[in-house]
Amino acid sequence: MSSPYVAPLAAVSRHRGIIGAMVVDAQDDIIVDATVRHGIKASTVAALGASIYRKARQSAGAAGLGDTAFLRMEAEHGHIFAAGRGGLVLIALAESSVNVGIVRLEMIRAAEGLA
Amino acid sequence: MIDEVSQLSQELAREPGSLVFLRLGEALRRRGQLDVALRVSLRGLERHADNSDAHDLIARIYADLGEFDRALQSWDAVLRLAPRHLGARKGKGFVLFKQGRWSDAESELLAVAEQGGGDPSISAALAVVRQHASEVPLGDVNPQVQQDAVPRPLFADALGEGEMTALLIDSEGLVMAGTYPTVGGGDVSQVIGAELRGVSDEVQRALRHLALGSWTCISFETDAATVAMAPAGDGGLVLLAADTALPQGLVRRVLELCAVEARTWLERTVSRAGT
Repeated sequence: MSSPYVAPLAAVSRHRGIIGAMVVDAQDDIIVDATVRHGIKASTVAALGASIYRKARQSAGAAGLGDTAFLRMEAEHGHIFAAGRGGLVLIALAESSVNVGIVRLEMIRAAEGLA
Repeated sequence: MIDEVSQLSQELAREPGSLVFLRLGEALRRRGQLDVALRVSLRGLERHADNSDAHDLIARIYADLGEFDRALQSWDAVLRLAPRHLGARKGKGFVLFKQGRWSDAESELLAVAEQGGGDPSISAALAVVRQHASEVPLGDVNPQVQQDAVPRPLFADALGEGEMTALLIDSEGLVMAGTYPTVGGGDVSQVIGAELRGVSDEVQRALRHLALGSWTCISFETDAATVAMAPAGDGGLVLLAADTALPQGLVRRVLELCAVEARTWLERTVSRAGT
């Protein structure tokens, strides 16, 4: 049976510098579907991405800022991106060299397909 | 790949009398599964009633849940079992601060400062608490710290006249500087600080497993603002919120300026506390 998340995952994964992409349950951080390179600790990426995205949403809610569309976490050697819709979060792991602007647009667009 | 929670759950099922519940409860707490974390920890406590770490874990879960009175009771239990437990004193200081019990918060933070020695977040939190504590004569507080602890001035140069605001938040979620004004004239900085408690440490731990190095920036876009965060040392972070109309590159540059201001202020505060 084909996963309904193949299309959004493929849309994000096709960009140069993307190491992995996954759809994660926003409440329990469990991976629903994923496309990742061999050797990537997908569950760690999922747990971190979903947890930080959840905290961002909660703090934005506390400040009355409305919904959180896109999150970017930048580290010395790469990025983690997250975009949510409903009870799901689309998370991507990327190399430092990735084109952030393009991936941001793709993530926001792809997240709309999660609902 | 089996995740940490599943692995620990299996371990605990094999050895229900073990102390694995502490690691499982902590892992669940970090994930934000607070109700499950509390159930696991309370069940563990039934078998290990004299374990101070179990009481401490439960206190932190209650604090995360916003059940501050229960958190204080649990930390009191920790201190009865382990009177020099630094985490319990820090936790109590954090909760008492949240409750506006400035004098009590100051006593706890002072005890931590005496035990812990040189923790910049504690020194800075003490400066802020002392500002609020009406019992403390103004002359007892270093005038420079007083001036710096007035929120807006710390980031005033970096923020300029733009539609931005900034906060300095320590690893416990305490706001050390800055304000987050609302349209209605309120200030939600404390609430935001509490929501972002421990983010810096959590990110750093996870990034270590992923070999991505240290984190440099977290930013998120909301309907009403762009929010960006940078590490400020010792598990703390600087948060900047800006109008969505402002270019993200500008937001990033202002964030860097705020982070430099925050680190400088923290270093100065610590060096004063040490003299």
